[in-house]
Amino acid sequence: MNSRSPSENFRRILGRVVQQDFVGRAAELDRIMVQAEPANAGRGLLLLMEPSAGVSELLRQAYDRLFNQHTDVIPIYFAITPNETTAVSAAIEFLNTFVQQYIAFRRNEPVVSNAPLTLQDLLELAPPADLEWIEQLIESYNHLRFSNDDKALVRFCLGAPQRIPAGRSRPFVMLDGSQLAEYLNGAVVLGTEIQRVFGRGGFSFVLAGLRRQILEAAHDAGSDFERLDTLRLEQLETTEAASLVEHVARRQHVVTSEIARDLLVQQFAGSPFFIHIFLQAAREKHRSLISYLDCERLYVDELFGGHIHRHFANLLEEISPRLDTRQLLIRLLWEAAAGEDQISSFEVWRKRLHMAASELEEVLHRLHVQEFINWDGATVEAGAGPRAWKDYLKIRYRLDVLNEPRALVVADTLADSLKRAPHTMARHYKQIANAGLRDLISRFNCQRVPAVLFDYQGFSAKYKGAESDTVVSGLAAANESIKLPQTVHLASCAAFFSDMRQLCEEDHCLVAHTFEEGNYSDAQQVIWLAADIESKLEVDVEVARAWCDRLENMAERLGFTRFQIWLISNEGFSEAACRLLEQHKGFGSSRQQLGLLAARVGETVVSEVVQTDHPDEFLMVVPMGEDNELIAANTAEQIAKRLTFRPEAINQIKTAIVEACINASEHSFSPDRKIYQRFRVESDRLVITISSRGIVPANLNGANSGSEAKEAVEERRGWGLKLIRTLMDEVEFERVDDGTSLRMTKYLRPQKSTTGANE
Amino acid sequence: MDTPSGKLVRSHCVGTTAVVYASDYLNKLTGEKIERECRRQLSGGCRALVIDFSDTKLVNSIGISILLGIIDVAEKNGARIAFSEVNNETVQLFEMLGLTRHVVLAKDEREALLNLSHYETTPIVH
Repeated sequence: MNSRSPSENFRRILGRVVQQDFVGRAAELDRIMVQAEPANAGRGLLLLMEPSAGVSELLRQAYDRLFNQHTDVIPIYFAITPNETTAVSAAIEFLNTFVQQYIAFRRNEPVVSNAPLTLQDLLELAPPADLEWIEQLIESYNHLRFSNDDKALVRFCLGAPQRIPAGRSRPFVMLDGSQLAEYLNGAVVLGTEIQRVFGRGGFSFVLAGLRRQILEAAHDAGSDFERLDTLRLEQLETTEAASLVEHVARRQHVVTSEIARDLLVQQFAGSPFFIHIFLQAAREKHRSLISYLDCERLYVDELFGGHIHRHFANLLEEISPRLDTRQLLIRLLWEAAAGEDQISSFEVWRKRLHMAASELEEVLHRLHVQEFINWDGATVEAGAGPRAWKDYLKIRYRLDVLNEPRALVVADTLADSLKRAPHTMARHYKQIANAGLRDLISRFNCQRVPAVLFDYQGFSAKYKGAESDTVVSGLAAANESIKLPQTVHLASCAAFFSDMRQLCEEDHCLVAHTFEEGNYSDAQQVIWLAADIESKLEVDVEVARAWCDRLENMAERLGFTRFQIWLISNEGFSEAACRLLEQHKGFGSSRQQLGLLAARVGETVVSEVVQTDHPDEFLMVVPMGEDNELIAANTAEQIAKRLTFRPEAINQIKTAIVEACINASEHSFSPDRKIYQRFRVESDRLVITISSRGIVPANLNGANSGSEAKEAVEERRGWGLKLIRTLMDEVEFERVDDGTSLRMTKYLRPQKSTTGANE
Repeated sequence: MDTPSGKLVRSHCVGTTAVVYASDYLNKLTGEKIERECRRQLSGGCRALVIDFSDTKLVNSIGISILLGIIDVAEKNGARIAFSEVNNETVQLFEMLGLTRHVVLAKDEREALLNLSHYETTPIVH
């Protein structure tokens, strides 16, 4: 009896990673398995892949799973590779693979799937029950092979799964790289033939390819869309991509840090392809990825001569095989992408590239399929594609077109990448912070909510300073309510009106197309214009007016006849601002109101003190908010008492910690919403380090000019750092890639005051 | 020190002066509670305010900014304001952030009330 667990019994056949290491595509894998079920017999699944989203391992994992399940479904996986030069050679390779994998499955011998075997070898391995039909298949193939009818041969090879006698197992064919099928030489268009033969073959199949191409090929082949399902394969979500980085790094023995992991996820926008090749490069070059500098150094190396360089160089060569045209293309692509007007006509491109219309069509089609441009036949929009593509283009432009010195381009690219890294993370953190508003508005669906949640003045008068229980019960008993509309479309203001990009972050200002009562008529259509204003205090009337004017101006220019302005700010609005909003028939809500609204529309503090290896060092992590700064302050008090600090000094330490925690909570857009504290006891001092991940606020960047401090006093808020500097003996910002780390020292005997950070 | 959640703001009136008691930790929430109570007392006709800090062990900068707001509101209403029984560390913070320029500091509630009663008969000179 086999006592091994199912996962131990699982045999890896085509998969390049073990089952447990395959992360991020669980839902997609399950969907493919569903396609193999009897209920979907004869149906096809088109896997519409975003470029560099990665699909091959997904299909190989599906193959392994089906093979191991060993039901009546026989998995067949075939990848068209760039090595195939003609449709005929690719089709013959498909036939070989089919026979080989069929026999491997029937014999339940995975090794047969991978062995280098000829058709004759396979015939000898065929189980007796299958020998007859396989023999006939090979005989017919040999006959057709010398017939000079390429189309018939291609169709015969692709249709091989149909020849499995009825009543035997059902083939489930997964074809990878079908985008390559379009560009094979010869009179037969393999992509079209695949869709035709598979669509009419009566067996279940999966076709994976670039999304812009595969649908087009299905239309060209006259496919029966009633028998086709689709599955979109996009880049990974942040958490899945982070998990992928961790798994691949562990597999490749690359040492990484959390901040490096998160940067890679954002920089490569969750692309499994780029994440894999980047970590592979790190292993090959024996590089650790700990800091931003580590990541960007390797990134630049990759752009100039590594896997990323080869990937884009190969694509460009396929798109434009002639060197002279390729240089012109690089020039045009970069100049169009970097210029103000990224849209130009087909004719402009034809003249700039000195190409015949048909040749240019071919180039533009390939660029379009790779999503480097958007081409609709008449106009070409440049500037699309992943960040790495744009960086690669810029490098090639500077090296090949401008002939700039390589060292200069390398240095500039590295410096630019390093400067960009914190902005990349900041953008991500802000997106997370604002996801709440977007999510909230998208869930508007005719719910009835207390009207006071959209009226800051009324809310403030009733509930400012009230306990949350009081607020909740007050809202439950509220007489006045409003019915939310139904949101049917939601996008950032910048998507409608590019000028808004200058004024706010993408997700800070949203346009929602809604219908009152869910009634789709002109009279019930209302466009909600929502803006989340960054402010630590109540927003004053001038700021509120500027936003009302801005949104009304946008509404007028876009022809929105019925619109609803909704301003949101952390601390609400001044009385004058509320009156102004009333004049504009606008809504105003504080962050607290927004939270209460979210609870109606849709849906414990744990701290841990750990003693580190150092006997006099303590680490503590507390979640942000809920007065948790007090927990930190009280811990510090206990530690400070051991050092016999005077009560006055202990209070100063506590206040400084409270301020540092408030700063971390208020300003950082922290992704994990945690404050990390380190208390180090030395003979004559207590050193406290308060760190958090997220954005470094401008006023916390370590600079400490006298005028800034004065301004802070005038502004009534932003006093935290000033207080900390006064209360502690030494205050210094430690350099970290992500977020802030503030080190504060208090001496047992007061030292001469040093008030500057990084001074 | 307990977290301040769950506590109400204590207050009482002595003539036309309201005495409002701050809790052990002056932060955003407790500051807003004090502000709300002060506004309520002023709109009820009080001419002077005493904020008593005898229980207050810790304050943060947000709490202090709210106190400045209360001082503004009191000034707009023509009311005087005094802080009583503020511990030394908190006085230091108030001085640092300029609060003491706008408010009378008294040793205890009694002294605060006495000071304010004196002001009630003295014209305010800026």
